[in-house]
Amino acid sequence: METKGSIPLRRFGKTDVEISALGSGGHHIGVTKDEKTAVELVHTALDGGVTFYDCCWEYCRGKAEDWLGKGLKGRRDKAFLMTKVCTHGRDGTLATDMLEQSLRRLQTDHIDLWQIHGVGFANDPDLFIRPGGAAEALVKAKKEGKVRFVGFTGHKDPEVHLAMLNTGFPFDAVQMPLNPFDGTFHQFSFEQKVLPVLKQRGIAALGMKPICGRAEPVKKGVFTAQEMLRYAMSLPVTTTITGFSDMDILKQNLEVAQGFTPLSGTEMQALRDRARRYAADGRFEPYKVSLQFDNPEARMAHDFPIDMQQIETRELVAETQNTGWPFPS
Amino acid sequence: MKKNFAGSDMNMTPAVNTQPELSRRRFLQAAAVTSVSSVVPTAAVVLETPASHAQEIHPKANASVRALPNPIIPNFQGEYGSSSMPGFQVPKRPMGSTGLQVSILGMGGFHLGAALSQDVVNDMVAKALDHGINFFDNAWEYQGGAGEERLGIALKGKRNQAILVTGVCTYGRKKDVAMRMLEDSLTRLQTDHVDVWQVHDVIYYNDPELAYQVDGVLEALTAAKQQGKVRFVGFTGHKNPSIHLDMLDRGFHFDTVQMPINPFDPSFRSFERSVLPVAVQKSMAVFSIKSMSGSGESIVRGALTPTEALSYAMSVPGVSTTVSGMNSVEVLDQNLEILRDFKPLAEEQMAALREHGRQFNDGRYELYKTTVKYESDLGRAQHGFPSSMELPA
Repeated sequence: METKGSIPLRRFGKTDVEISALGSGGHHIGVTKDEKTAVELVHTALDGGVTFYDCCWEYCRGKAEDWLGKGLKGRRDKAFLMTKVCTHGRDGTLATDMLEQSLRRLQTDHIDLWQIHGVGFANDPDLFIRPGGAAEALVKAKKEGKVRFVGFTGHKDPEVHLAMLNTGFPFDAVQMPLNPFDGTFHQFSFEQKVLPVLKQRGIAALGMKPICGRAEPVKKGVFTAQEMLRYAMSLPVTTTITGFSDMDILKQNLEVAQGFTPLSGTEMQALRDRARRYAADGRFEPYKVSLQFDNPEARMAHDFPIDMQQIETRELVAETQNTGWPFPS
Repeated sequence: MKKNFAGSDMNMTPAVNTQPELSRRRFLQAAAVTSVSSVVPTAAVVLETPASHAQEIHPKANASVRALPNPIIPNFQGEYGSSSMPGFQVPKRPMGSTGLQVSILGMGGFHLGAALSQDVVNDMVAKALDHGINFFDNAWEYQGGAGEERLGIALKGKRNQAILVTGVCTYGRKKDVAMRMLEDSLTRLQTDHVDVWQVHDVIYYNDPELAYQVDGVLEALTAAKQQGKVRFVGFTGHKNPSIHLDMLDRGFHFDTVQMPINPFDPSFRSFERSVLPVAVQKSMAVFSIKSMSGSGESIVRGALTPTEALSYAMSVPGVSTTVSGMNSVEVLDQNLEILRDFKPLAEEQMAALREHGRQFNDGRYELYKTTVKYESDLGRAQHGFPSSMELPA
């Protein structure tokens, strides 16, 4: 399989598991125009050498997991499957219930990597590690063989990531936003503050938001998507998770990832220098400085205001409407 | 705590609040109506002016009970519009090293600008002055200038009784922009000088760097002081103590600084713990803001009563005045009632409130630190952020 032109495989932390340097983002699977297209996207990604599949219990009120499960049906062994649990500080028993729902929707008996989703509020680490908290659910699921590895994700504040790591819980993986803006937004730089700690501890580092979530810097002409993806993939990470909800974007990503060789230090610095003047106030990283990327599930668990314009909120409200569709559309 | 305005009938937190900035006013108005009614059962909640129409303050008001037309006598002692308040004087404190004495409660400009009418603002300002409240905050950007204009009208003939404060809203822009804003402010406020001119909303991480640039806003502060158009200068902000400290550490001499102070702050990105001691050490005047979380978020959720909120902020050593937003005589009355009974909280009471606040140390009641909700569209535009319509929080 390891021929020139395939996506490089990288070691997952200290384990002997290898995963592709490009990972598929789960949310985009759920917002694909229809189920058939979603399944085709997963098949094309698998054929193109993408082995890492991200998803999440709360994406599209379950539709993302459902469609990813359909895409992976019969090919489950080719994928390193990740999904996330959305306790947002609530009890471990809730996490266990969510795991059962995820397994059913993904049509599998195990998750390769099960992560705490969206750790970002300052008290999340305390709530995670408390007696009865989600940490207990991770241990239990691992012991029962329902998950192989565990980790956490978040896009808000590197200090909160460090506090999670300082709980002492044995995480196998940690996910964070990594892009040229993050690299120069000093106070909030995951690259500067978290990445070195993961390397030192042998924890698998997973990058996300390589094009800042909604590609604003691309739309505003600051970078091309390819430049940003290359930047993220050249960092010392196991994989870079990026979403695609149509075939053109997938192919564009595959072109960058297949036969990928990391940028040089000079090239990386040049990209950071271009980002610097926009990075200092966080304008291209709204997930750090605003609630824009915080789901209603997280906001409600923490008593933050929800936003009726947010698609996730509309899905939440529409979820029990009798439209004839299984998921809110 | 003598009064608890957050009674059970006030438990009206909407599940989905599409107009969050209005919720506090609605709540406080409703609360004020309740409390005022209990004190003065016959009080009407209808304002009437001789020149114009009667305006309902609260839709549930009993419109059949009407107050006499308000003659709007300057500094009239006694009845204002619909409500009465016994005469007493709000205590004053030294305002840093300025030599001025400032009332422990100040009137916030944004909510003054959002009051129903100029008449209401006139009543409020006169009544506040009569009770010794002499601090009036504002900003160039409030209500597109109407905030300053209304205060200017209300202070006509009383200018010398007031410590007049306004903010310059450059958001990284240069001295020339700031000086033009100052002229606007002076014209709108109908005065030849402001007492305190502050760089408004230093809330983006690169704002200190931009303020200190050559020909930046700080040079405008110095020039305006030299020209006698402002007496003292400072800055405001609510985002992160690191930004305030950056402003202070770079060396400019500020007379004043404005920052959030409430029982939630000490356990979350704390201004009280990290900025206040530095300001006190420099003998600066500290103005506290966000005593009720900005829009009463902590009040409507029952995490604090208005009495607790104001009492806490007014009891923190080093704070000169606590700026509170009020948009009606009723809310002013509610604050005056709190002030009338106010005794600085004992250290154990302060500690208990801080301990209570600690359980919410995810920033849920300090959205000005954790979200973009309190960032104005002008500031957002200067920093390349989406508008508040596109990105509410």
